[in-house]
Amino acid sequence: MGEVGLNAYLMVGAVLFVCGVVCMATKRNGIGVLMGVELVLNGANVNFVAFSRYTSLGLDGQTVALFVIVLAAAEAAVALAIALNFYNNHLTIDVDRGNELQG
Amino acid sequence: MIEQLLFYTFAILTCGGAVAVVATQNVVRMAFWLVVSLGSVAALFFLLHADFLGAAQLLIYVGGTVVLLVFGVMLTASGPYTTIKTSPAEGIIGGAVGLMLLMVLVSSIGSVDWGAISGRLPASPESPFTADSIREAHAEESLVNAGSTKAKTDLAAVQQQGRTVRQLGLSFLGLRPDRNLKEGGANGLAPGYFLPFEIVSVHLLVVLIGAAYLARAKRRAVSEDRVSLD
Amino acid sequence: MPETGDILMFLLTVAWLLPLAGFVVEIYWLCFSHRLNKGAAYCAVACIGIGFLCSLSALLYWGNDTHWAALSEPDHHGHAASHDTGHGDAAHGAGGHDHDAHAGDADQHSHDQASEHADAPAKKYYSGTYYELARFGGLRVSLDWYIDSLTLVMFTMVTFIATCIHIFAIGYMHDELTEEYEDHEVHLHNGGHFSRPGRFHRFFAYLSLFSFSMLGIVLSGNIFQVFIFWELVGLSSYLLIGFYIERKSASTAANKAFIMNRVGDFGFLIGMMILWTSFGTFQFGDRTEGAHTEAGLFTMVRGHDGKLDVSEDGKQVYLQDAHGHRAEKNGQPLTISYMLLVAAGLGVFAGSIGKSAQFPLQTWLPDAMEGPTPVSALVHSATMVAAGVYLAARFYPVFTPEVLLGIAYIGCITLFIAATIALVVTDIKRVLAYSTISQLGYMMLAIGVAGWGAALFHLVTHAFFKSLMFLCSGSVIAGCHHVQDMSRMGGLRHKMKITAYTMLVGVIAIAGLAIPGTSIGLSGFYSKDAIVASALAYSELNPGHILLFIAPLVTAGITSFYMFRLWFLTFAGTPRDAHVYENCHENPSVMTTPLLVLAVLAAGCAWGGEGGPLYRLIVDSETVPAAARVASVGAAKVILPSHQGHESDVHHVHSTAGMLALVSAIIGMTLAYLLYVKKTIDPNQIRQQFSGVYDFLVDKWRFDSLYDAMFVAPVHIISAWCVSFDKGVLDPILHSAANLTVLTSKWDRAFDETFVDGLVNLVGTVTYNVGNSLKVIQTGRLRQYVMWIAVGVIVLFGALFTTIPK
Repeated sequence: MGEVGLNAYLMVGAVLFVCGVVCMATKRNGIGVLMGVELVLNGANVNFVAFSRYTSLGLDGQTVALFVIVLAAAEAAVALAIALNFYNNHLTIDVDRGNELQG
Repeated sequence: MIEQLLFYTFAILTCGGAVAVVATQNVVRMAFWLVVSLGSVAALFFLLHADFLGAAQLLIYVGGTVVLLVFGVMLTASGPYTTIKTSPAEGIIGGAVGLMLLMVLVSSIGSVDWGAISGRLPASPESPFTADSIREAHAEESLVNAGSTKAKTDLAAVQQQGRTVRQLGLSFLGLRPDRNLKEGGANGLAPGYFLPFEIVSVHLLVVLIGAAYLARAKRRAVSEDRVSLD
Repeated sequence: MPETGDILMFLLTVAWLLPLAGFVVEIYWLCFSHRLNKGAAYCAVACIGIGFLCSLSALLYWGNDTHWAALSEPDHHGHAASHDTGHGDAAHGAGGHDHDAHAGDADQHSHDQASEHADAPAKKYYSGTYYELARFGGLRVSLDWYIDSLTLVMFTMVTFIATCIHIFAIGYMHDELTEEYEDHEVHLHNGGHFSRPGRFHRFFAYLSLFSFSMLGIVLSGNIFQVFIFWELVGLSSYLLIGFYIERKSASTAANKAFIMNRVGDFGFLIGMMILWTSFGTFQFGDRTEGAHTEAGLFTMVRGHDGKLDVSEDGKQVYLQDAHGHRAEKNGQPLTISYMLLVAAGLGVFAGSIGKSAQFPLQTWLPDAMEGPTPVSALVHSATMVAAGVYLAARFYPVFTPEVLLGIAYIGCITLFIAATIALVVTDIKRVLAYSTISQLGYMMLAIGVAGWGAALFHLVTHAFFKSLMFLCSGSVIAGCHHVQDMSRMGGLRHKMKITAYTMLVGVIAIAGLAIPGTSIGLSGFYSKDAIVASALAYSELNPGHILLFIAPLVTAGITSFYMFRLWFLTFAGTPRDAHVYENCHENPSVMTTPLLVLAVLAAGCAWGGEGGPLYRLIVDSETVPAAARVASVGAAKVILPSHQGHESDVHHVHSTAGMLALVSAIIGMTLAYLLYVKKTIDPNQIRQQFSGVYDFLVDKWRFDSLYDAMFVAPVHIISAWCVSFDKGVLDPILHSAANLTVLTSKWDRAFDETFVDGLVNLVGTVTYNVGNSLKVIQTGRLRQYVMWIAVGVIVLFGALFTTIPK
């Protein structure tokens, strides 16, 4: 076991990202989809911070990660409001019921 | 050694938590595993010397967002709807696609020679301004380590130690203590994050109002029809 | 203190433009009032009436300004003597107002007069420019005014007669004041009569337009402007003749009048072009700009001594400048070919022939009687047709003796032809129409034999008595409910006293009767006397042209005969048609008052004869060449008689001519009395005896048939050829072209429908079907979309990794 390198962090980020995508693709629960989004964002964040540490990106990576966190929080708030609306309209949180986009 | 140990621990916790989120069907449990996963990510941030970011991750994600999600679960998941089962076929397809995506990502990570572009943050001894600003930023350390050369080495040390709060704060005010001014563009002034910071602030305000508007109480005349249909 | 010329110009301009304002108001009458309102008539009367007052005050002002020098000029003064008076006393005579109006060149004038020629004319006119329309280098087209005593007399006469006739027309056109006017002359297919809304206001609008145009002719200061208003009177004449446009006869007559006039105007245009090319100006009078004086047409032709400056070989005429010298340009004297000058004169006179209905264009005037009677009175007897005479008189200085001879013969032929036709016509208005043509012929003859003053004298007197007679005939027609045939009248003097006796005044006036031995008669006596005297003097000087004296003398008798015939047939004797007689009635005072006023003037306007005020006023603006004896220098060897002063040629023969004319007139009257009152001779017998002549006269000397054969029939034949060419050649070509186009279009349509449309539809169908099948993919399910995104990324990366070389 050598020193922990960039690759290891990137791998973690990739796993988080894939888990998030799969979560979005499989969960019928709207809240579950939101959680998938959070996982995807976190995967990206891990990558940013890792690059910040191991490359000349420097402070920029951390700053962007911070923005991502803040925006994720905002997104969560809005998404939750949307979920509540969805629930109000459909009396369920099952996203498969909301297929109005089919037209 | 201890760093490796800690990394692997938290990496496994992170990945495991994420997989558990996918695997679990109950929303509340999913939320729990999410907390685990995001908390471990915060720990990874600490390992990457991003102490403020790690703290923010803990505070905002684990303390804020997840609580928000749990609130959402409580408000929406009543009775039988707490668990909405995914069909096994979908799970298998999702898993397969996920695995393939993972393979793509991993192979692309592996195919890049990170050594060529990786490296520590270069010190910038040429710029007296940077040195001065660093000195001012770390006035108490300057007291101990008088002398400009000492201050230059300080910069790397500060980053190594993960003490980034002040630097982040300065960069949000448009100052970049970690950058040589001559590096950053023709003006000789490395760009800070003042404008994005402001934009994000306004964005937050907008989101706050928007969320409040969306989530306000409404009459449920339409929905009751749906109930009867169900 | 404004200058005399400006004051006169202002007054006459007001009189001229008021009818135009009236026209604008009346033509839009229905915009602010209704059809049954008489306001349009009052408006027209007010406009023309104020115009009359303006004209009259202009005349009086002019007279006061010149201390009535024109009137006080003693008859026995020679021309040179009268001129000395004017020259010696600047404030008194003709030279006096010359001094006022043209202070700039007055000294120069005096000098010229004193040094060059005793007969050098004093400038007796005022002229100026309203507005310059265009300027082409040195050539100018402008709106000018030209005022002399003739202008003033004409203005006063025209506005006065027009006022009377306007008032008369209020009564005459009364039955147009209705929403539903039934025209008994127009028969519809269903046996009924055509009916339409009344056109009272429109009639007065046309009358106002006519008045404006007529006054414009009189006031015009250049020949081009004359032409403009010449055409305008033609237009208003056309509108008025065709007032009952629904009657075929009326619309045909209007067309005939208009087209006949165009023939004359063609000559007029040619004359204008010659003048424009040779003289470079249209102006009548001289034109002073600062120190420079530009000669007008008259000065250029005649100079100051009134003689044509003909070159020795007789082929060129030297033009004169404003100071009486030969005009030069770049050192070369300006000349005009003598024949060209003759052509210009004949051209301008051709316009007069058309407008004044002279031979050979005389046939339109009788037909023009289709218009309402006030129109006949104003337009087709008193004023418009006299405009031709007026123009010829205005242009007198430009006419060479050859042209004058032509004018004399034209007038001579016309007066005789028209008078003979008038002998047999029974329509009361047509008798008057032929009489008008005949009298116009007299005037033309007078101009031709250098009786300039006599011609215009007769013009004015004729205007009065002829308008009087036309109004009387209108009164008869209105009283008899539109019966115009004299053979159905008779004895009407018992029922229409005012009309009958005012008519009698007119008849005596036109017949030229007087108390024998006293030289006291009505107006026509004096004016006709003057003409016959001029003709006699002329024929004495030129024995070869004795016909120019005999014809008017004989015609004087004929005139007297047919006019009395008219009066006897209409008013005297016993009623021939009881129905007409029973229903006829005297007209209201709005119609009879103008008759009385006109009768007074017709009787007395020429008071004093050639020593009287009217003649003096007219002759005051007589141009020099008309006054003195002139021997011709051109091809026609004629000598124009002098007729001013006691020693003149005309005065010499005056009493002889007067006596002869009076005898002739009395014979005519007596014959008429014998035939139609005493019935000692039966007119029918004469008619049968001379049936050939009678038919010839009834057919109006067969002029209409002649013109039909000469012009209308050839045109018809050529038209028939054209039609057959059209139908035989052009139409088949066009039709085959059309068929070809239709065929091509059908092919094109088939191609479009199958191929082009098919292609477009195919594209549409394919797109539609593809869309339909792709619609299935759009499930609207979020999770599926996420899945597809992931799959897409995988596929994309897979493709990248496999294709990009390491």
